[in-house]
Amino acid sequence: MATRERRPGSRRFSPAAAGADLLLVLWFAFSLFPILWMILLSLKTQAEQTSTYFRFTPTLENYTTVLSSEGERITSVDFTGALFTSLVTSLGAVALSLAIGVPAAYAAGRWAYRGSGDVMFTILSFRFAPELMVIVPLFIIYNQLGLFDTAFGTIWVLQLVTLPLIVWILRSYFQDLPEELEQAALLDGYTRTRAFLTVALPLVRPGIAASALLAFIFAWNNYVFPLILTGSENPTVTVAVTRFLGGGGQAYYNLTAAAALLAALPPLLVALSIQRYLVHGLSFGAVKS
Amino acid sequence: MSATMEQGTARRLRLADLHKTYRSRGREAFAAVRGIDLDIEPGEMVALLGPSGCGKTTTLRMIAGLESVTSGSVRIGEREVGDLPPGKRDIGVGFESYALYPPLSVRENLAYGLRARRSMPDARIRERVEAVAERLEVTDLLDLRPAALSSGQKQRVALARALVRNPPVLLLDEPLSHLDAGQRQRVRRELKVLQREFGYTTIVVTHDQLEALSLADRMAVMDGGTIQQFGTPDEVFDRPANRFVADFVGEPAINLVPGEAADGAVDVAGAGRLPVTVAASGPVELGLRPQDCRLSAEDTAGEGPAATVEVLEDLMEFGLATVALDGGGARMVVQTEGGASWSAGDRCRVQAPGERVHVFAPDTGERLA
Repeated sequence: MATRERRPGSRRFSPAAAGADLLLVLWFAFSLFPILWMILLSLKTQAEQTSTYFRFTPTLENYTTVLSSEGERITSVDFTGALFTSLVTSLGAVALSLAIGVPAAYAAGRWAYRGSGDVMFTILSFRFAPELMVIVPLFIIYNQLGLFDTAFGTIWVLQLVTLPLIVWILRSYFQDLPEELEQAALLDGYTRTRAFLTVALPLVRPGIAASALLAFIFAWNNYVFPLILTGSENPTVTVAVTRFLGGGGQAYYNLTAAAALLAALPPLLVALSIQRYLVHGLSFGAVKS
Repeated sequence: MSATMEQGTARRLRLADLHKTYRSRGREAFAAVRGIDLDIEPGEMVALLGPSGCGKTTTLRMIAGLESVTSGSVRIGEREVGDLPPGKRDIGVGFESYALYPPLSVRENLAYGLRARRSMPDARIRERVEAVAERLEVTDLLDLRPAALSSGQKQRVALARALVRNPPVLLLDEPLSHLDAGQRQRVRRELKVLQREFGYTTIVVTHDQLEALSLADRMAVMDGGTIQQFGTPDEVFDRPANRFVADFVGEPAINLVPGEAADGAVDVAGAGRLPVTVAASGPVELGLRPQDCRLSAEDTAGEGPAATVEVLEDLMEFGLATVALDGGGARMVVQTEGGASWSAGDRCRVQAPGERVHVFAPDTGERLA
C-alpha cells in the first residue's frame, strides 16, 4: 500500500512528538497562570480577594469602581485620567522619537563618519543601561526645571525608551535599501533631502509603522521613570495601577487586578494587530541576504 | 536627436590625472584610483575593463559625482564638473542593479527623472517618456511595476531611465551582468546600435572582455587603479602593452612562458626556437595566444619548440590542445583545427609567426617594443 506523500514540514505522529506537545501545553498553562489568576481576582469581591477558592460569584463591580470616581476616592488618582496621560505621553514620545530618529537612522544607515559607531552605541546603551542608574539625577534635574509630574517631562524621559528602538530598527531598514535608488534621483537633479523624502522614506514605511508601534508598547509599559518623575497630577497608568495596592492602609488586590488588566489592553491590542510586522521588524536586517 | 557641432564638442569627456584615495580612521589610506588620464571623443563608446577592485567602478562614480574626487579633473566639453553635484553634471547612469523604483510603474519611473527640475510641463514629460519608451521598445511595459519585468526588460527600462533626460554623457555600470548568455548577446548588439544612433559619449564599465571587445570603440584596461592600456580592441588584443593586459584580454588565456632572446629569435623554455620581430636579447617572457599558434608534426621543417600533446579538447569548430614543452615545466594551450586528430602522447612542434609572438620584460612585464 502506497503511503501518502507528506508536505514538507509536516510530522509523522510519534510518542516523542506527542510528549513534547504535552510539555508545551503544560509550560503554556504555567506561564499564563498569573494572567488567569489576575482575571479571576478581578472578578472577585472585596471579601473574597484573599481567598484561594476558585468558587465565587463573579462580578464586574471592580471594573466600574476603577473607572469611576469611587476609584479616585480610594487612590486619590483619576484612573481614566491616567489612561489618557499614558496615551498622550506614549504617543508623544513616539512622535518625538520618529521626528529625531528617522533622520538619525537614515544617516546611520547611509554614512560612516568619525564616531558614528560610538553614537549608535550610546543610543543603544540607553536601552540596556538600568533605568535606576540615571533616575536620581533625573529626579533632581526635573525638579529644578519644573518638569516633574508634567506630561512633557514624561514624554522627554521616555525618549530613553523609544529612541533607541526606532533608530536601531530603522537603520537596518535603510541599510537594506539599495543606495542606487537615491543616487539615480541625485543624478536626475534631486537634492539629497528630496531624494530622502521621495525615494527612501516611502520605502521604509512598513519599518516606521513596526518600530513606532513597538516603541509605543515599550513606552506604555514603562514603570520606573513615571513612578519617580510623576506625582498625583500626571501619573501614567502603570503608576496609577499600583495605587490600588494602597500605601500602608487597605490593599485592594481585586481592584488592582482589574486596573492592571484594563491598562494591559491597549498594548495587547496593538501587539496583536501588528504581530506579523513585529517579528519582521525585529528580525529585519538580522540576516544578510 | 540632431547632433549639431556645438553639441558635438559638448559631448567630449576628459579625465586628467584623476585620483581617489580613501582614508578611514585607524586604517591605512587606500588609493583606489591613481592617476587616470582619458580623452574620450564625442559620441565614442569606451569600455573600462579590469578585474574587480581595479578602480573602474570608482572612476565611473567619480565621473558621475557619486564619489568625491581626491585630485584631478573631470571635464565635459569645456565644463569642469569635478566639483559639481551629480544633478548638475548632466550625466545619465545605468546602474548595475538597474535602480528602478519598485512602487512606481515604468512610466512613473521614467517621468520621475524629468520631474526633478520642475520646469518641464506635464505634457512635455509625457511626450518625452513615450518617445524614449518607443525607441527602446518598452511601450508595452509602461504600466507595469519593475517587479513584473524580466531582467532583460529591466535592463531596457534602466537604459530608458538613463536616456530620458537626453544627457550628453552616458555611463553604464556592468550593464549586462544580470542577463543570461543569450540575452546578453542580443542586448549587447542593441546597445551598440542605440549608442551609434543617439551619439552619446558612453563609458561602459565591465569585467567581461567579450563585452568590452564587442561594444567599445576604444577600451581602457585597468589594474591597480591605473590604466594599463588604452586603445582600440584590435590594438589591445594584437599589441598588449604589458603582461597584465596580454593575460587579462583574450579567451582562452594567452600562454606566458619564459624564454631567451637573441638574434631575432627566442628560445622557448629551452624546447626550441621561434622567430620574433622585436630586437631583444637576454631573458624575456613570451606571450603566445592559442589562436596564433599551430601544432605541426615533429618532423616538419622550420623552427618551433618541441612538445608532447597531453590532452585535446574538441570544441567542434576548433580544438584546444594542451601540450607540455620539452625540457619539463612549461605547458601551452594551442588552438587546432576542428577535427584535428591529435591524441595524448603525440609528439609535435609549436609554431607561430614572428609578429604574433609578444615579448615582455621578465621583471616589469612591459612590452619590449
